[in-house]
Amino acid sequence: MHSAIQQIHQSRRDFLATMANGIGGLAVASLLRDDGVLAQEATRDPANPLAPRRPHFAPKAKACICIYLEGAPSQIDLFDPKPRLNALHGQPLPESLWRNVRFAFTQPATARILGCPRVFHKHGQCGMDLSDLLPNLATCADDICWIRSMHTEAFNHHPGQLFMNTGLPTFGRPTMGAWLNYGLGSESRSLPGYVVLTAGRGTSGGASNWSSGFLPSHYAGVLFRNQGEPVLNLNNPAGLSGEMQRRTIETIGNLNRLRHQEIGDPEINSRIAAYELAFRMQAAAPELIDLSGETRQTLDMYGIDRPEPSGGGRGGGAGVFRQFATNCLLARRLVERGVRFVNLYHASWDHHSNLTPELTFNCQMADQPVAALLKDLKRRGLLDSTLVLWLSEFGRTPLGENRGGNPNATGRDHHPFAFTIWMAGGGVNAGHIHGASDELGWGIARDPVHINDFHATLLHLFGLDHLRLTYRYQGRDFRLTDVAGRVVRGLMA
Amino acid sequence: MRRLGLWLGCWLSGLPVVAAEPANIDPRKLPAATPGTIDFARDIEPIFAKNCYSCHGPEKQRGGVRLDDAAAALKGGNSGTIIVPGKAAASRLLIVVAGLDRDLVMPPKEKMPLTAAEVGRLRAWIEQGAKWPRQAGGTTSAAKSAHWAFQPIRRVEPTVVKRQGWIRNDIDRFILARLESEKIAPSAEADRVTLIRRLSLDLLGLPPTPAEVDVFVRDSRPDAYGRLVERLLSAPHYGERWARHWLDLARYADSDGYEQDRPRPYHWRYRDWVIQAINRDLPFDQFTIEQLAGDLLPNATLAQKTATGFHRNTLTNREGGTDKEQFRVEACVDRVNTTAKVWLGLTLGCAQCHDHKYDPFSQREYYQFFAFFNPDNEVDVPAPLPGDAAARAAFDKRKAALERKLTDYQETQLGPTLAMFVRGLEAEDRKKLPDKIAKLLGKGDKLNAKERQLVFDYLGKDDKTYKQLSKALADHVKKPPTPAYVPTLAANGGRKTHVLIRGDFLRPGVAAAPGVPAVLPPLKSRGQPGRLDLARWVVSTENPLTARVITNWVWHHYFGRGLVATLEDFGAQGERPSHPELLDHLASQFMQCGWSLKRLHRYIVTSATYRQSSRVRPELAGRDPMNILLARQNRIRFEAEILRDNALAVSGLLVGKVGGPSVKPPQPAGISELTYANAARWVESKGEDRYRRGMYTWFQRTSPHPLLTMFDAPDANLSCVRRDRTNTPLQALTLLNDATFVECAQALAKRIMTDKTGSVSERLDHGFRLCVGRHPSAAEQEQLQTMYDEVLALAQANPKEAARLAGAASPANVPVAEGAAWVTVARMLMNLDEFVTRE
Repeated sequence: MHSAIQQIHQSRRDFLATMANGIGGLAVASLLRDDGVLAQEATRDPANPLAPRRPHFAPKAKACICIYLEGAPSQIDLFDPKPRLNALHGQPLPESLWRNVRFAFTQPATARILGCPRVFHKHGQCGMDLSDLLPNLATCADDICWIRSMHTEAFNHHPGQLFMNTGLPTFGRPTMGAWLNYGLGSESRSLPGYVVLTAGRGTSGGASNWSSGFLPSHYAGVLFRNQGEPVLNLNNPAGLSGEMQRRTIETIGNLNRLRHQEIGDPEINSRIAAYELAFRMQAAAPELIDLSGETRQTLDMYGIDRPEPSGGGRGGGAGVFRQFATNCLLARRLVERGVRFVNLYHASWDHHSNLTPELTFNCQMADQPVAALLKDLKRRGLLDSTLVLWLSEFGRTPLGENRGGNPNATGRDHHPFAFTIWMAGGGVNAGHIHGASDELGWGIARDPVHINDFHATLLHLFGLDHLRLTYRYQGRDFRLTDVAGRVVRGLMA
Repeated sequence: MRRLGLWLGCWLSGLPVVAAEPANIDPRKLPAATPGTIDFARDIEPIFAKNCYSCHGPEKQRGGVRLDDAAAALKGGNSGTIIVPGKAAASRLLIVVAGLDRDLVMPPKEKMPLTAAEVGRLRAWIEQGAKWPRQAGGTTSAAKSAHWAFQPIRRVEPTVVKRQGWIRNDIDRFILARLESEKIAPSAEADRVTLIRRLSLDLLGLPPTPAEVDVFVRDSRPDAYGRLVERLLSAPHYGERWARHWLDLARYADSDGYEQDRPRPYHWRYRDWVIQAINRDLPFDQFTIEQLAGDLLPNATLAQKTATGFHRNTLTNREGGTDKEQFRVEACVDRVNTTAKVWLGLTLGCAQCHDHKYDPFSQREYYQFFAFFNPDNEVDVPAPLPGDAAARAAFDKRKAALERKLTDYQETQLGPTLAMFVRGLEAEDRKKLPDKIAKLLGKGDKLNAKERQLVFDYLGKDDKTYKQLSKALADHVKKPPTPAYVPTLAANGGRKTHVLIRGDFLRPGVAAAPGVPAVLPPLKSRGQPGRLDLARWVVSTENPLTARVITNWVWHHYFGRGLVATLEDFGAQGERPSHPELLDHLASQFMQCGWSLKRLHRYIVTSATYRQSSRVRPELAGRDPMNILLARQNRIRFEAEILRDNALAVSGLLVGKVGGPSVKPPQPAGISELTYANAARWVESKGEDRYRRGMYTWFQRTSPHPLLTMFDAPDANLSCVRRDRTNTPLQALTLLNDATFVECAQALAKRIMTDKTGSVSERLDHGFRLCVGRHPSAAEQEQLQTMYDEVLALAQANPKEAARLAGAASPANVPVAEGAAWVTVARMLMNLDEFVTRE
């Protein structure tokens, strides 16, 4: 960058950094705006917008691995046992509960309570009840902060996913990962700061689940691919050798520098930097996915080569066991390499019917690798600084779904009023069970946690004040937590 | 912005999925009524004046509530009545000031709550009939605002400047006046090569050919520049270039969005309407009216209804289990917000759930605006395409042929049996037949065609050939060619509009009649105004916003920044114009010249301001680092579509066909698989459709073509008035390695080798010129030569790999190593910063 321009940016950065706190901040910002001077991101180095930035206060977490189970697993069959449901199996729900409530498919007036066939045991010192579908995760019970009192305001998948990822059920907002990269920058010199890995089929939210919304697109998630090259267009064209590529990148740099001497646009320096990073990424990404350096013990711990049961139903197609397990291992490798936010997606948890066989299949797929990830991070000393999340857009209803009046319910409809998510590592209150749902698992009995609260807490773990992490767009300072959110102290160590 | 309201602390009362029922409110907790007779002036008005009037008085009516006027107060607010005379427990006013509803407490928490004694007085007053001894004296103060954007557009004469010789038109006077006041000299005019490339890219989105560059550089006529501008403005690609800009505003896409994201086979007809409208310079006021209310124009033509497809680009959620009304309302919300954003530069959407925090728009006014769109239904108007008749004819012909075959078979093979049955069937045998058939046979020869068919179907039920023939016919009839249509709107007078409390469609408040915000000039109409009246109001000359917003938007495409930098927000939170007089000058000129976009374009691009060099001036880095004063031009990276268009153009692959259905050029595997249940399989187009301009690439909302998203094309979920211009390593990888660009590199290499048969340096010069328009400098030529020599040596060392790289595009008489070296060089050229930048 031209040194004079750099100075400007530097002094502007310093100036605003000094003024940002305290009373002067607002006045200065509006002064600049009145002058038409304050641009988006004026305080950032345009050649490297992802340069690491200091948080507001000392962080606990530095990286996040977000495991997203799209479709919404049944908390009743996994995390939140409701023995009363078995006693009431086949009974209608009291009208006071379903009156004025909208469902996606269930007809509440004739719906009947659906008992749960699972066996639950208490695990760890915290005594968390987990069903027999999660034997491996059960051994990590004391590393996890369980939230049984989540609730959301959206009850269809795509809006629900937007809500969980962006804090609002509408389009156009940045996701958690985008906010974190905006707030903290990226520690990786050769990989993107926000990486998305998927296993199985697509999610209903598609790319909007890792969008940067109104933030510039360099904060968006980069989808790594599970077939072929890990990053789109990573490989050189057929026949073009690494040496030719090196000569190409060099010449592009040289010619761009000559142009810069002529025309002086600092954007040219950004482009030179981008090409150099691209070149480094061409080496780093294959190294990332090359698992030959991992021990057999590690590979087996994640269950990479486990046999996969046949007939997985809607679980995502053949090979999903290997894909999901590999993604869990890659998540650790990404975090080791400085990636800020790793998002793992698996779609197929929308069990309106065939709940028992399909949930069993999915848990067989997810339980071992997720537990392995927690243990692997822990033994490497990474769990303390890595926040691991298990999320879904909502939960599932205690009622059997009787879509179209069908009385033989084998599944559960969407349920936004009370569901379970969990967090581990990264400064959370490990071995804590937060909140409770009521006797039927219908509503929340204690300590409700809204998505905006969850996001406020997440940012807090990263040393960010959710009220101060803002981005000016359409004349307003926007936040991940919109106009709400409170940090839930009980979730933090 | 918020549909679902604030966090309410409790699942029971807070969730919008639970309809509005004031839960948990116990009126028994109200403080006791003060004994004795209450006097309004003595006991009540002071409470209102101290605590309420600042938000619910003559100036403001937050939530639609006004307490200084008896009639208004008794009418209530957005949620309904607030005072029920004689009934304390039913009076919402009392509930909220007593703090009994935790969703809403008044006065708001930053103010002091009312004392129990005050609430007791209010209770007594209501129980005694809420008597108001007099009407409030004053009327509501007319909404006024000193904010610049709401003031009428003024015609300002430019001030006198010193450097007269620099001036080419009045734009320059405004720009220069400001520069001179800052004692800054403007930049010199850019050289001619830069000018023709700049103009071609800005007006067509395509690069000039070296021949075009040569002609312009050599054209010594004084009006050479003006001639060039005219040539470009009349090219059909001009319409494409500016249509694509407009489509960003229109959030145009080829699929529904959301989970199912189904294809929209005919929305391209709206896109083509835009291209044609811009090419024939449809005046912008008419352009607006047809898009907002073309369907309501007297004797609306199909083209006008097609234009109204603007507001059919909203998303459609076909996910199972959705509430249709919810997403109908959401589409309508988007129509309101988009209209306000695109034409008025307003963030009206902020008032969907509550009064606007910064600008003078109440929530009720939001729903008055909403009421223009709320009655609309989405309709698809049959609109045959040229091929449709032929397809129908072919279908009918085949149907007739199948019918004939069947009839022939019936008559020849089954006819005799039928005749036998009719003539004489023993009673015994007749009993074996189904009743219906027996009955029909009893009618003898008097069977009609349908009855005959039924009998034949019965007789032929075990006849293999007959079954085959009937199935062929039945299958064919099931798949008639779908008639083409255009998506548009149609007003449905029946639907009433209400304020939606906190934006929640399940919580209707008071009724809202169509109207425009009071701070803006009134909308005049006979009777209740409709969407057509709104459209006309938007482009009325009294409207202070539309002309400013649109000229500013056009300006930003030429300078990379608007005179108002916040294109989407002309409200109090937006930036002020850097050159307010110039903005008004442009806006008033625009209206005066019949809202002609072409004249506006011509006006801007012929100014000396536009024609300046974009060379950064270090001496101004401290004073005007963002070049707000425009002492030079700005360099602007191409948009996603234009990047690919340019690569196709310089390599000679581009197919310049204008309009038609969207196409699916190659994209990497695994993209459309991201969509839900792999719903949108990408079937690659064949032939010339692989090389069409980027604006014709099928836009699948949940899995857009990666070339588009990689370079900041908007996602088409919301209207986008300003694209980002990021600069990322992934973009570098795309330009280097994406199959499309590699194919372009191979084609460009071939073109270089075919066009120029002389020396390597001549070919290097040619390739460089094709890509950036100008000749390389000596230093650049040296870089090119060195790279060429080195990659040639590398290619020669590995002929097998070189052959793969050179590809089939390599001319037959050229050694593969040379071909490979040229592909490598061509690829490098298309990755230069200058290649992707309009200077």
